[in-house]
Amino acid sequence: MPAAIEASGLTKVFGETAAVDGLDLRVEQGQVFGFLGPNGAGKTTTIRVLLDLYHPSAGSVSVLGLDSVRDSVAIHARCGYLPGDLELYPRMTGQRVLDWFARARGGDDTAFRSELVERFDVTLDRHVHELSKGNRQKIGLVLAFMHRPELLVLDEPTSGLDPLMQDEFHRLLRETTAEGRTVFLSSHELDEVQRVADRVAIIKDGQLVVTGSVEALRRQAPQTIELHFRAPVAAGAFEGLDGVQRVTVDGNRVSLQAAGELAPLLRVIADHDPVELVTRHADLDELFLTYYRDTPSTDAD
Amino acid sequence: MRTDVARLDLHNRRHLTSAYTIGMALYMLVIVVLYPSFRHSSELNSLSSGKLAALFGVSGPLTSPAGWVNANAYTNFLPLIMLLLTIGYGAAAIAGQDDDETLGLLVVLPLARHGILTQKITAMIAQALVLIVVVAACVYVGRGFELALDPWNVATASLAVLWLGIDLGLIALTVGAVTGSRGSAIGVATAIAAVSYLISTLAPIVSWVRPLRFASLFYWSVGNNQLADGAGLASFAVLAGVAALTGFTANVAFRRLDVR
Repeated sequence: MPAAIEASGLTKVFGETAAVDGLDLRVEQGQVFGFLGPNGAGKTTTIRVLLDLYHPSAGSVSVLGLDSVRDSVAIHARCGYLPGDLELYPRMTGQRVLDWFARARGGDDTAFRSELVERFDVTLDRHVHELSKGNRQKIGLVLAFMHRPELLVLDEPTSGLDPLMQDEFHRLLRETTAEGRTVFLSSHELDEVQRVADRVAIIKDGQLVVTGSVEALRRQAPQTIELHFRAPVAAGAFEGLDGVQRVTVDGNRVSLQAAGELAPLLRVIADHDPVELVTRHADLDELFLTYYRDTPSTDAD
Repeated sequence: MRTDVARLDLHNRRHLTSAYTIGMALYMLVIVVLYPSFRHSSELNSLSSGKLAALFGVSGPLTSPAGWVNANAYTNFLPLIMLLLTIGYGAAAIAGQDDDETLGLLVVLPLARHGILTQKITAMIAQALVLIVVVAACVYVGRGFELALDPWNVATASLAVLWLGIDLGLIALTVGAVTGSRGSAIGVATAIAAVSYLISTLAPIVSWVRPLRFASLFYWSVGNNQLADGAGLASFAVLAGVAALTGFTANVAFRRLDVR
């Protein structure tokens, strides 16, 4: 079975700026793949190259086993897309937008479309320009999902959605992958990605800095350790230990982050008479920040 | 052939196209109805001999049927309205939609880009065709008001105006597909139209401009007495050739355009 997405040395240059620079990426079928990065990291550019909206300056991309440029029409027939800045024809009603796109695609699963409209409580009888951002986003979600595509490429899909609709969207994602279909999800919402993604990639300055499962990334990232000692401890006792960073001291309470070999740290802790020790793995937002500092490209698997 | 994109654009522009067409029809009917009041005016004819008249695209006696319709519509006002329609659409069709960020959803449909472009061009021709057919019909109505023009000449002259609109609309479309900028598309196409108009109108009165008239789309469309003599094969060959060249260039440019 071919990968849902496979990019090799993908580069997109605008003028003298490389928005995406030698990106290698593989997304297997049947999973939710989270694509993370702050504004300007190259997420949207990557998505647009995948869908042949942008032409790559170098490298190659295959989507569902097809060449992204040569076979773009066949790829588009099998993909659903929700752009990050969704704009619809403002003078059309939601119903007309859905009808038109369904017809232009050569038909859709009408029953499934109606089900999506109901699940997301989509407003269909008003002109698009009269709708709130959230209501427009719901139309965009229906447009992306209504023809049951094999691959969904979603750029900031929950932007503007209320928590109830976000939950509905997450349920839809689970149903989609349960059917063996793939979701490529770009998001700023790290919490959301943590909940729904099987694997994630973090992009920085157009280059991937890490790819792996959320669990593997969390295991590899520094864990936060909260310590309570019988007496006050100086920060210097921990600073300088290999893998220890972000030491903060508040009287006899110490918080720090530790990665790698823990034995030297545990010996120092034991020497200072601890009364309580709590550890927790990094959340995705901590991971994200960690990888966003100067980190070379790695694979967490 | 798929027509979804063309029909959508025609639907979205139906109010604009209707307004241009109805406005132009009313204007033409007024011109037609007024003709009997002016057809014997020697005073009016004296105006057409000056250079000022030439600057407005007027040549020949104003009181002749062809002179009257040329001076009031076919050499100036009709091309202006036609170009507003086609350049406006040409600039909006690719670059404008890209500016509005609605082009991306269109391009990710399972339609080849050349298919989308073909539909856009079809929509442009359809809008221009509605306008010119209505205008030509109004001119034919003039037969009831002593405005006796040869039907064949009216048909070919009207067709030449249609081609003028298509050519400049395609230029706007092409510039939009190359640059992705609606402003550039309108600016370049309008500038070409203005220079073309000037060359065509100045050619009869400025000797050094005269050889340049062959480079003017207006000359091949309305600047060579087409309404009186009919538009010839050479006119259509040039106008169709320009359309083919710009259409081909637009296709290449659109295939390469990075769409937002």
